[in-house]
Formats: sequence, C-alpha cells, structure tokens
Amino acid sequence: MKKQYFLIIGLILALSLVLVACGGGGGGAEGPIKIGAIYDMTGPTADVGAPYGRGEQGYVDWLNANGGVNGRKIELIGQDYAYKVDQAEQLYSQYVNQDKVVAFLGWGTGDTEALRGKIAKDKIPFMSASYSINLAKIDEAPYNFLPGVTYSDQMVIALKWVLEDAKKKGVEPKVVVFHHDSPFGQSPVPDGKKFADENGIGYTDIAMPKGATDLTPQLTQAQDFGANYVVIQNVSSPAALLLKNAKSLGMTDQTQFICLNWCADELFVKLAEGAAEGALGVMPFTSDFSVPGAKDPAEYLKSKGKSLDDEGLHYVQGWWTAATMVEGIKRTLDAKKDLSGENIKASLEAIQNFSTGDVTAPLGFTPTDHRGNDKAKIHQVQNGVWTPITDYMQSRIPVQ
Amino acid sequence: MESGIFHSTYQKDMALRHTPIEKLRLALVILFVLIFPFFADNYLLTLANTIGVVAIGAIGLNILTGFTGQISLGQGAFMAVGAYTAALMSIHWGAPMWLTIPAGAIATAIIGAIFGIPSLRLKGLYLAIATLAAQEVIIWVITHWDAVTGGVDALNTKNYLWFGGSNHYFSEFQFYWIIMGLAALTTMVTVNIFRTRIGRAFIAIRDQDIAAEVMGIDLFKYKVMAFATSSFFVGMAGALIAHWRQIVTWERFTIEVSIFYLAVVIIGGLGSVSGSIYGAIFMVLLPAILNNIGRSLTGVIPAMDVLIPFIQQMVFGLVIILFLILEPEGIAKMWKNVRDYFRLWPFSY
Repeated sequence: MKKQYFLIIGLILALSLVLVACGGGGGGAEGPIKIGAIYDMTGPTADVGAPYGRGEQGYVDWLNANGGVNGRKIELIGQDYAYKVDQAEQLYSQYVNQDKVVAFLGWGTGDTEALRGKIAKDKIPFMSASYSINLAKIDEAPYNFLPGVTYSDQMVIALKWVLEDAKKKGVEPKVVVFHHDSPFGQSPVPDGKKFADENGIGYTDIAMPKGATDLTPQLTQAQDFGANYVVIQNVSSPAALLLKNAKSLGMTDQTQFICLNWCADELFVKLAEGAAEGALGVMPFTSDFSVPGAKDPAEYLKSKGKSLDDEGLHYVQGWWTAATMVEGIKRTLDAKKDLSGENIKASLEAIQNFSTGDVTAPLGFTPTDHRGNDKAKIHQVQNGVWTPITDYMQSRIPVQ
Repeated sequence: MESGIFHSTYQKDMALRHTPIEKLRLALVILFVLIFPFFADNYLLTLANTIGVVAIGAIGLNILTGFTGQISLGQGAFMAVGAYTAALMSIHWGAPMWLTIPAGAIATAIIGAIFGIPSLRLKGLYLAIATLAAQEVIIWVITHWDAVTGGVDALNTKNYLWFGGSNHYFSEFQFYWIIMGLAALTTMVTVNIFRTRIGRAFIAIRDQDIAAEVMGIDLFKYKVMAFATSSFFVGMAGALIAHWRQIVTWERFTIEVSIFYLAVVIIGGLGSVSGSIYGAIFMVLLPAILNNIGRSLTGVIPAMDVLIPFIQQMVFGLVIILFLILEPEGIAKMWKNVRDYFRLWPFSY
C-alpha cells in the first residue's frame, strides 16, 4: 500500500517537471511568428467549433508549406479549451506570457468578453468567432477585431429583407426572435428591436431553454403573437430542433424562418431532415465552394485525404479569419516594423478592401471601427443546399 | 525512537501543530508563498491566483459538507451572489474593494442562511435537491432580473481603492497578495472555528444529529449557522473573482462549478482544511499539466493530434477515479500517511 503513495507522488513530481520544462520560449526577431489560439474541440459548441479550429490550423499549415509570411513561418500555438472560461484564461495567459505570441485567435462570446480587458492591457490583436457588437466598442475592446458581420447587423439585414418581403406579400410583418439564452443569443435582440420599432415591424423575443428537447411551447407562444417571420440566433442543433417542431405544428408553411450565421450551415440542413427546406440564412461567409477563396482550402484538404464538403463552411470561416490576422502581420513586416501589438493593430486598421476570394464581401478595418464586414447575402435552403437569393445586403448600425 | 504522538496535557491536545517539524514545514510553506511571486511569470501567477480563489471557495464548502455533513449543490450560485454583489456595488455606488469584498461575503452568508433553512427537515439526497434548487433559482433570478443584474449580459466590475477613486488595474502580481492574504485569513479563521463550541457542534451534527440534539445542540441554529459561515467564504471567493477578472457573467457560476467544488473537497479530503487546499492545487494544476503534456505530444504522431483533447479529458477523469480508489479519504490522508511513514519509521503502529 505504502509504495503506491510514492508512485503517485513520483508521478506528480514528474508531471510538474514537464510543466516547468514546457515554459520558456519567446519570439525571436527571425524565428517563427507565434500566434495563440483556443478552439472548442470537445465542448458544447464543438459541432461548429471543431471545423472552425481545424480551418485556422489548416490555413497556417498551408501557408507554411507555401513559404510562410515574407519567408518566415507562422507557429500557431493552440489547444482545446472545451468552452470553459477558466481554461481560456489560463491558456491565454500561458501563450501571451510564456510563448510571447503576437496575436490571438479566439472562439466564444463568453471567453472573449472575459478576456477583453486583459487583451487591451497586453496589447494583443484578437479575432474571435464571436460577432457580438459589445466587442466592437472601441474604447472597451481596442484590440478586438471582428472579421464577420456583427449579430446586430445580421439582424438588421434580416429585418430589412422581412420589410421588403412583407411589402411584396402585402402582409403586416411580425417577427419573433428565438435565441440562445446567453450573452451570445441576446446580443442582437435590443438592436433588432430598435430597427423594428422604427420601421413598424411587430417584434418580440423568446429564449430557447438550454438542452430543451421540445420547443413546441415556445413555438405556440410565437403563433399566439401572430408571427409570420422567425429569426433564429442559436447554433445548428437547437435551431434544427426548432424547425422540426415547427414543421410538425404546420408552422413552416405560413412562417418564414431565418437563421443568423451560427445556424445557417450544412449541419442545420442535415439535422433538420427536410424541415429546413425553404428556410433562409443571413450568411456573411459563403457556403458556395466554387468561389476562388474556397479553392486553397479545398485543395489543401484534398491533399490530406479529406474534403471541404465534409468540413463545411465553418472550416472556410476559420481559414479566412486566420488569413485576415496574418494579413495584418504581413503588412507590419512589409513596413519593416516590429511585430508589436500596436504595430499589428495599426496595420489591421489600415486594411481596406481585403479580398477573401468572394468567401465574404471585401474586408476592411478603420481606427474607429473594428467591424471588418457589414455585408451578407441572404441564402435559402433549396433542395437541401444553401443557395443565395439576394446580392450583398448591408448594415452598419452605430455602436453605443 | 518515536512510534506515535501521545498527548499528556489538554494544551498539547488542542495545539494545531504538535511537533517542531510541523512548525518548520509551515514556516517553509509561508516562505515559499512569499518568495514565489518574485520568480514566477504571469502564467504561473494566474495559476497560483486560481488556486487561491478555489482554495477559499473549497474551504467554505468544506465547512458545510465536510465538517457539518450537509451536502450542497448550490456552490456556484452562492459564488455568483458574492460576485454580483461586489460588481454591482462597485458599478453603481463606486464602492471600494475593501468594502465590496466583505459585503459580497456577508450578502452571500444571508442568502446561504435562507437556503439553509430547509436543511432542518431535509437530509442527504433530499438536501442535495434542495440546494440544487438554490443553484437554479439564483441563476434564474440573475439572468432575468434585468433591472438590477443586467440580465444575461456581462458586468464590468470596477476596482476602486476609495470612494470616488479611479478604476485601478491590478496586475496578477498585485492580486496575488490580495488573494493569498485572504486565503491565509480564511484558513486561520476556519481552523480555529473548529476549536470552539460552534465548530464542535458542527462536527457533532455531522457525526450523529440526534445525539447532538440530545446533548443540547440547537440543530436549527447550528445548521443555519453552518450554511451562513460556509456561504460567507464562498461569497468572498465569488467577490474576489469579480474584482480579479473585472468581468462577471452568470456563465461562470453554473452547476458545473458546484460539482467542480464538490470534487475539490472530496479529492482533497472531506473535513480537512488543509485538504481543501491540496484539492484546490490538484484540481487546478492537473488540467494545466495535462494541457502541457498534450501540447508537447502534438506533432509527435500527427495522426493522433485530433485525439489529444479527448485523451486529455479521459485522463483527467481517470486520474480522479484512481485517486478516489487508492485513497477515498483524499489527499490530506495520503499526505498524512506519507508523513507518518517517515517519522515513525521503522516502528509505526
């Protein structure tokens, strides 16, 4: 019995040595350029987080194989954080303080908001997959950049489409927003209400309880309100459930369902099993892989024996998010400046009309607005495939 | 040659430390805690601060679960009460930290005492469900009482040093002293509670509540008091998080947090203050160590890279289960066994 204790203690000591040995590091002037990253590979948002993370990794791998940035390699230091804020904070602290990363690629709304104070203090340019308008507040989050259209702007784009469509059909628009019960889900609700009030759209919001297996009561509530349009701000799986429930209620015939970007994807169509037919999606990142911007990821995946159709549009989204950050680094190197946070931030802020090969509308940042994109196309599920039905629609509401 | 510790006076029996070696060991630990931050980088300080906060919360939970025998699944929500109290006071009234942290602790003690009332009639699993209700009710109130808590949105805590001061940004190094100071205070207070009538009453309730009542212990009073004392420290940990991270969201205080803290006190050792600290160290460092091992293994077998996060999660669970099988009384007992083995060698009883 006693020997086991020594074994365990010996094991703990050995593990701690590994921990200490892994410290050190630091970014040399000519060595690889270090970028930190956290992914959700195993947590509650892993369905969309894993392909997004693999997209970021894939881009860096592809770039290094093609010569890197001005001859320098990129080292992407990233790990799974399982959507836990504490883990995100620890990994962030380790990468910034020990590995001396010059930029960071994040993931969720909760952890990005929790980190933004530190990000500003450490001066680390940061791009996450959260497009909450809170992260566009330049005085509170001066180092956060949003490569996507904010949820609020996506909502306004959806409502603009609703206005036109209602006019065409000659009905009075009544919109219900179904959202995830969290900062992520709530994010576009107030800005949507403002737009709806100004334009005479009936508007209310209903929270989708976490882990719900039946959303019929919430849908009945929406029916009582007289909803003829439903906007969904949630991830694919619960959104698909909502559509299935709506179909069994016979609601999908009279009510137009519209997904914002985190449920407008292939997974949603697959999980909804036909109930998704005819649903709309506000898509700042395209699902059309014939565009030039999807060529490199598709070829890269093919060379690894995988296919872009399996990975889906979030892979391309992660790929181009990493590419946008690297563009800021490249411009800093081109200007022969140090890779400091301030310099990369300044380079990112100078980016105008950056082409992502039609994956998104051209991106651009300014010193006063870090929203890189304000345009999205409305897509519709036709025969199980997301198909664009409008040209780019635009919205850039003021950030309070 | 020693073969055990034998007390010949009541003073010796009551002493917290019985041998010179124990005193020396304590001195070394204090010395280490004092010197550590000067040599540690920010990452290690982040880990140390996390351990400090978890230790305070775990000691609080241990008072209730380990010492008084009342199981609680409301830990996360009680921490939220402390965190939101501190954050809202700093935001709306500009209250300084030395006021908001005790206020957060006191507010949590009151709320904890209220949710402790059912414990008079409920025991074991039934009490677990009642405290689970506390967890859900408190988080529901926080996310739906928009006018006060700001709903699901995050709150930005302000760190004031004085009324009307400006928002102060603390480095990890500076916060280390605040957290470790409060952790030391929590340890001292708790260790000494169990040398008083109150603490002994708690333990009597845990061991046999009917016998305790027969001996003249007012069960209602002491059970509610155990909830209040426990929640006081739990709320303090919550308030510390609010100021340390400068951001408060309900997502930080879910049921998972409650279960995490239960794991900390069980692995560390139920009914042991030092066990709570060992448990905190273990449960914070283990994922960090696994992360670092996972990281150094990345790229060794490229085909395995995708699996590393999953393996990490499995190993985490496996290590905890192994610990519990090998020593169900926790790290505190394990440490005691090792200590006794050396001290009493070769004639241990």
